[in-house]
Amino acid sequence: MIRSRYASIIAPLAIIFLGVMILLAIPQTRPVVEGFLNGAFGGRNHFNLFSTLARFSILLGMAMSVLVSFRAGLLNIGGEGQLVLGGLTAALVGVYLPGPPLYVSVVALLAAMTAGASWAVLAGLLDRVAKVPLLIGSLLLNYPASYLASYFVSHPFRDVASGATQTHRIMTEARLPRFPGTILDYGILLIGATAILVIALEKTSVFGYRVRMQGYSYGFARTSGFPTGALYYRTLIISGMIAGMTGYTAVFGLNQRYIDGMLTIPLYTWTAIAAVLLAAIIPLITPVTAFFFAMLATGAVGMERSADIPREIGQIVQAVIVLYLAGVGGKMLSGGTKEDH
Amino acid sequence: MQIESQVQPAVCRLNGISKSFGDIQALRDVTFEVRKGEFLAIVGENGAGKSTAMGVLFGLLEPDAGHITFAGERRKLKSARDAIDAGFGMVHQHFKLYPDLTVLENVLVGYEGANGFGLVPFQERRKAVASLIREFEFTLDLDRKISDMPVDARQQVEIVKMLFRGASVVILDEPTAVLTPQECVTLYAMLKRLCAQGKSVVLITHKLGEVMDHSERVLVMRHGALVAERKTSETDQGELAELMVGRQIETVEKISRIQPQVVASLQGVSVQSESDKPRLDGVSIELRAGEIFGVAGVTGNGQKELVNAVMGLEKNAAGQIIFQGRDIGGLTVAERRQIGIGYMAEDRMTIGLATRGTIAENLIAGREGSSPKGAVREGHSGFSSYGFLHWRQIRDHAQRLVKNYDIRTPSAMQRVGNLSGGNQQKVVVARELSAAPKLLVVENPCWGVDVGAISFIHRQILQLAETGAAILLISNDLEELFELSDRVGVMFEGRMNRVFDRSELDAFAVGAAMSGDEEQRP
Repeated sequence: MIRSRYASIIAPLAIIFLGVMILLAIPQTRPVVEGFLNGAFGGRNHFNLFSTLARFSILLGMAMSVLVSFRAGLLNIGGEGQLVLGGLTAALVGVYLPGPPLYVSVVALLAAMTAGASWAVLAGLLDRVAKVPLLIGSLLLNYPASYLASYFVSHPFRDVASGATQTHRIMTEARLPRFPGTILDYGILLIGATAILVIALEKTSVFGYRVRMQGYSYGFARTSGFPTGALYYRTLIISGMIAGMTGYTAVFGLNQRYIDGMLTIPLYTWTAIAAVLLAAIIPLITPVTAFFFAMLATGAVGMERSADIPREIGQIVQAVIVLYLAGVGGKMLSGGTKEDH
Repeated sequence: MQIESQVQPAVCRLNGISKSFGDIQALRDVTFEVRKGEFLAIVGENGAGKSTAMGVLFGLLEPDAGHITFAGERRKLKSARDAIDAGFGMVHQHFKLYPDLTVLENVLVGYEGANGFGLVPFQERRKAVASLIREFEFTLDLDRKISDMPVDARQQVEIVKMLFRGASVVILDEPTAVLTPQECVTLYAMLKRLCAQGKSVVLITHKLGEVMDHSERVLVMRHGALVAERKTSETDQGELAELMVGRQIETVEKISRIQPQVVASLQGVSVQSESDKPRLDGVSIELRAGEIFGVAGVTGNGQKELVNAVMGLEKNAAGQIIFQGRDIGGLTVAERRQIGIGYMAEDRMTIGLATRGTIAENLIAGREGSSPKGAVREGHSGFSSYGFLHWRQIRDHAQRLVKNYDIRTPSAMQRVGNLSGGNQQKVVVARELSAAPKLLVVENPCWGVDVGAISFIHRQILQLAETGAAILLISNDLEELFELSDRVGVMFEGRMNRVFDRSELDAFAVGAAMSGDEEQRP
């Protein structure tokens, strides 16, 4: 298993690396690769690198949210709904709450985290009380969340003057500051710190230990006397909180308002799930795969500009990776009880 | 290793079969044949390569080297289907049946004999299966769901399925692990009849007594190689055991040191079920310090519920469970573990261990931190403080236990799933015994464990009893129960049907109680 697990990570990376080298060596394909690299890292003053990082920030946040629940064996794929509600809540607080900027900012963050967490807990309650499997419940809860958000920004809270389906701008002083001369905001620091915390605590805390073991085997956790119910809900709460927080950084940083579809159309959550699975649910590797997917998206745009290759190719590559993961990931998630045969 | 005398023609022959998984060579140059109408036993420890050999024979695994011949003809098996078509049938240790389908449907699966319209001629097929069942004097209701049937009947379904597919070589993997002595007798009588019909029976087992009683020829495997071939009439159990392990085996000596004080007592413990029959029905037992109380019974007669009630895994348990003078009915699993109740679960792959976790991680489970309500050791135990793990202590602890309990592993940070069955069970034993429990619940401790490890585990259990702990030993293996227990209670349909003292233990009396006979017959 160990062998195949490493192979499942290293083999595709090696193939990709080799492919890139070959493409660079052939004169006709060279501009494509250059366009891709320029799109992901280049641009004037490395503008593109910062858009990659901005995307990476949100992907990393969602990847951490997914990681926390997957590590516990909980298939919470409702990150999208939790992200959207977090973003929407943050926007509403940012637009309508009067008060000093720092206060608004903090309240918006806490409200976003609460919104994300409650949506996750709702999926958990559906699972434990009404026996709707978490996988299905959390998935289905994505839809009411995003339609609810659409409704709010198209009717009651719409910035009619702007013409688009979006809220008003949030309080200007409350928004997340940007790194000077770039479009990248401080949200990445918040998410980076969260990621470090998640990765460190997973290994060093009793909670992380219990969650991990429970993820390996629920029966084991039960007979070992772990508080399985509390672990279940706490994990979901943390997962939802991180998703909500990610929504907050997107609204208070990148866009400074909630625009309909801003968190769903780029497929952040689904890409994050792919990133976690590509990392074989290993915490330390997850940021790397999240960055890889961020690069894939922005690089594809650059490729389109310089080599006239449609950016959708990037999405097709991602889809192929997801297909591959559907095979490998299924085995990882379904538990390793039959490994040694 | 040649056996002369009148030898039947070989049905099939494995020639120089080798197979490895990664670095592990599971089979090396194995050559043997199965002869027509013979009763062949293959014995060996876990991991000796028996199952791999059968996997190759049954088309589930492709050998790296060597080939198989059928009736002198070389043939390649690509799937179980090929093997079945070639006349092989296999009853796996874990039955391959669809629990939600009926007996008839299970027998027909894959061999429905559908007509040109894709329709199954059920009436015709039903007759064929029914006549097969009659021929072997089984009592199977064709329309009963598998999930409603006892284990021995499920096994009969497997056998019928195999015969229905026209098997001429019948392979059985540990068939008696789940049966009462009486059922074993029935099974072996049936297998002998198959031999008489000219079919070959291949029995894979570690129960040497059964091998001696029923087989004609024995193959011994060790470390992936065939180390010996014997005529059953020319060998004995001791020799076979030595060949299997490759060294002398010490027998375990039981010394009873029962002390007067009662450690735990169960009074009318019951577990209701949705149907009218309770799953556990008013069980009362007293466990004294130093006593090993064995629980026999066919699987599914309330043993699981009994264990769950004692461990706090069963929410709906009624009745009283007193542990060291205190009613523990309301305590959680964690609290029960903390006051000194240990549990070695039967299913180590999913419950006893987290196989994807490391040895070190598995060894601290249950003692990793403060209890959920902080009942006993507030905030601080050896392996963590303030919610953070002490990895050094955890590693040291693991290394110590790996050494003391002779867990064969390159390192304590190895994944448990990579260990052999016996070593996995040693991890469970090490974790539970190192917690020094006052009451230990043990379920089938030697299931799928090799002979060397069995005597080790038995010795550990006996030693724990000698130090004054009470042990509740649930086992399907009567030999094991008789060897270790001071008393044996037999469970039937949720009741403690009879309790035998060590002096009055007798396989057939216990077997009768397992199938529901009361002490006073009407």
